[in-house]
Amino acid sequence: MPHGPGQARQPQTDNTLDGSPILPSIIQSWHLRAVIMLLLDYQNVLIQNILAERFSGVPPASVDQTVSDFDGVLFHISTPETKTKILLSIQIRCFRDLVKYGAVEVLQREYGEYATDTEPGYDFSVLIDLEQLPEDRDDREALVLKFALLKRNAMAAPFEAAYTEHYKLKEEASQYTSEEAPKGVLEGGEVMSIHYREEEAIYVKASHDRVTVIFSTVFREETDRVFGKVFIQEFVDARRRAIQNAPQVLFRNDPPLELMDILGEKHTGSGDVGYVTFVLFPRHLTPQRMPDVISHIQTFRDYFHYHIKASKAYIHSRMRKRTADFLQVLRRARPDTEEKERKTASGRSFRVQN
Amino acid sequence: MAHQTPAVVMDNGTGFSKLGFAGNDSPSFVFPTAIATKGGAGGGGTGSGRPAVANKPSFLTGGAGPTGHLASKRGTEDLDFFIGDEAVSAAAGPGYGLHYPIRHGQIENWDHMERFWSNSIFKYLRVEPEDHHFLLTEPPLNPPENRENTAEIFFESFNCNGLYIAVQAVLALAASWISSKSSDRSLTGTVIDSGDGVTHVIPVAEGYVIGSSIKSIPIAGRDITYFVQSLLRDRGEPDSSLKTAQDIKESFCYVCPDAVKEFGKYDQDSTRFANHVVTRPGGRQVTVNVGYERFLAPEIFFSPEIYSSDFLTPLPEVVDTVIQTSPIDVRRGLYKNIVLSGGSTLYRDFGRRLQRDIKKAVDKRQEESRKRAGVTSSGPGVDVQVISHRKQKHGPWFGGSLLSQTPEFRSYCHTKAEYQEYGPSIVRRFALLGGPGGA
Ligand SMILES: Nc1ncnc2c1ncn2[C@@H]1O[C@H](COP(=O)(O)OP(=O)(O)OP(=O)(O)O)[C@@H](O)[C@H]1O
Ligand SMILES: [Mg+2]
Repeated sequence: MPHGPGQARQPQTDNTLDGSPILPSIIQSWHLRAVIMLLLDYQNVLIQNILAERFSGVPPASVDQTVSDFDGVLFHISTPETKTKILLSIQIRCFRDLVKYGAVEVLQREYGEYATDTEPGYDFSVLIDLEQLPEDRDDREALVLKFALLKRNAMAAPFEAAYTEHYKLKEEASQYTSEEAPKGVLEGGEVMSIHYREEEAIYVKASHDRVTVIFSTVFREETDRVFGKVFIQEFVDARRRAIQNAPQVLFRNDPPLELMDILGEKHTGSGDVGYVTFVLFPRHLTPQRMPDVISHIQTFRDYFHYHIKASKAYIHSRMRKRTADFLQVLRRARPDTEEKERKTASGRSFRVQN
Repeated sequence: MAHQTPAVVMDNGTGFSKLGFAGNDSPSFVFPTAIATKGGAGGGGTGSGRPAVANKPSFLTGGAGPTGHLASKRGTEDLDFFIGDEAVSAAAGPGYGLHYPIRHGQIENWDHMERFWSNSIFKYLRVEPEDHHFLLTEPPLNPPENRENTAEIFFESFNCNGLYIAVQAVLALAASWISSKSSDRSLTGTVIDSGDGVTHVIPVAEGYVIGSSIKSIPIAGRDITYFVQSLLRDRGEPDSSLKTAQDIKESFCYVCPDAVKEFGKYDQDSTRFANHVVTRPGGRQVTVNVGYERFLAPEIFFSPEIYSSDFLTPLPEVVDTVIQTSPIDVRRGLYKNIVLSGGSTLYRDFGRRLQRDIKKAVDKRQEESRKRAGVTSSGPGVDVQVISHRKQKHGPWFGGSLLSQTPEFRSYCHTKAEYQEYGPSIVRRFALLGGPGGA
């Protein structure tokens, strides 16, 4: 179903609440607040800490740490030869996909002079010579951040490719009126698939008027799925409240049209998979906004699941409070004996020798 | 599975949390087990002054836009918090209150702890708990209900892949395997775990804690810091904050063989007095003199009467009693493998003095019983050995890292599926990790 420029197709969405009774309105408003409170850093804090310390001029020391990051990413930071040369390696599950979409070029551009022979078992390595660091403090700080963003930069490749393709298609489309544009220009580029988690993928597709990013995500539990829906609903509502800059967000349980070709009959909406679609419009697609948008959208899945878990913590805390209030009432009803017992129970629980 | 993620190891102590990944030889993060939350109970606006919104662009607005406004209107107390060092700094300013959810080794505030964990996992360790197995630690004699609460949070809130909860003392024994003195990978021994809030003496036989013989001493790191602070105050030093007292404690204190003689040494040799320079927030520097507290502060383990009036038993005596009240057939093993663990066992010569004093107590008792029995020849004597090693500061964490990197670790964990089938009580039992039959 091709569509012309300026006439955005409205995909069928499933973004209404199912009115589940376990979700009182208080939780919904909690979600809205949480949307802005639970952001995650783009960089790996631990790599950043270790390098910042090593770069600060302290005496060289040996380092050897294996560090996990989201989505099964593994770093190894070590000093295999001498204490003044830090080897930092990254292993990414979907590295092969990323290479297909230009990761080698992006990493070369970002880390060129530091790139080194890849450590066995890893996908990319940089070697940092502590004796060759820039003099300036700000430059050092920037360098620390750059290395801490290794995962972000590797994952950026397909998004950058989509931006480039979008510019190209936009340019081509501008030469036609909507009716006469060739099919290729109207339909946009191929869908890039990045299988970044065992059962989850990111799909990116560039068109002349937008870039579409789709996350397929698995919910381990029914509760998580319900919470997820409420959360997406907040996104949708927030957009309605006229937040101009927000990308369009859609949630559905069956694969969006864009994915029909690649997924085929495989996924027919088995219930525990959800698809979250972001539509980036030209205002998000300026070269100036590109780095931020890419960083941001990458963390979406982890942020989303962090959010779901934090909202469960919130519910638990409300439940604990209810229970405590209830016990309080009971206690008031039977003041004396209860009170004494409670004191012993909450007193120091270790035995002091006498 | 081709791609195995390392287990996450978390040792949440009264004072400090040690967090990291299996297989590493030190924790990735060590920070106070503290959470700073918005002070006061007011449900309304977060008010002006401090922005309620993290200074990062949001997904929606690309900046603190209208959503930010809404957020501050509805109140964000439950989300507006910091943990660890950031909590301590936040609480130094207005608006935030500082809380320590763990007391005497046990979790007391579950709301705070759940948020502390969620933040540790997502913002610091940066892992999706669904992708990892977790090894957590608990103090000895932790009530089973506490384990269940923990399991509930890890399985229901976090959907973690697998969970193992180990007793800190047992992990500390495993950590001591790196010592050259520890010949066999034994899980029999007496652990002296002295952290911030409490000192435990825990006998362990083949990986099982002998609960009835455990003793706890209400003297640990925090008390030693207070003691240093009181000495600084008495002398009218220009800075006697807790931070200064703690820094002095950690960098200057040591254990001496005999406190009375040690005073004399200071009087003869003035180089034993030291200076500690404190840089004030404005950048101004003041010099604090450091004197007798260097040896007097840790001396409270050996002569508690100088600090407290209700607890008077010296630590070596407590250790001896703990072993004497344990089953007779394990006592030799308990004397032979006395393992130190925790930040407050790091004083120089702490292990040496302990070993000497315990040996003295044992010999004295043996001598007396021989006299009573009328035996003249002296027996073989008991082998008393106190083990210090380079990982003892984070002993429980390090032991956890060792054990959770073994291939069989995952099979010792409880899984979410088991949790759902049997309920929280499933975590009352765990098969012994690193025990006989293990690696
Ligand atoms: N080098 C040192 N010398 C003396 N004390 C130290 C040293 N390093 C840390 N400490 C003290 O150790 C304490 C923290 O130890 P640790 O991390 O083992 O405690 P914890 O696990 O938080 O507490 P607990 O085990 O009581 O629950 C603090 O009081 C700290 O001041
Ligand atoms: Mg501890």
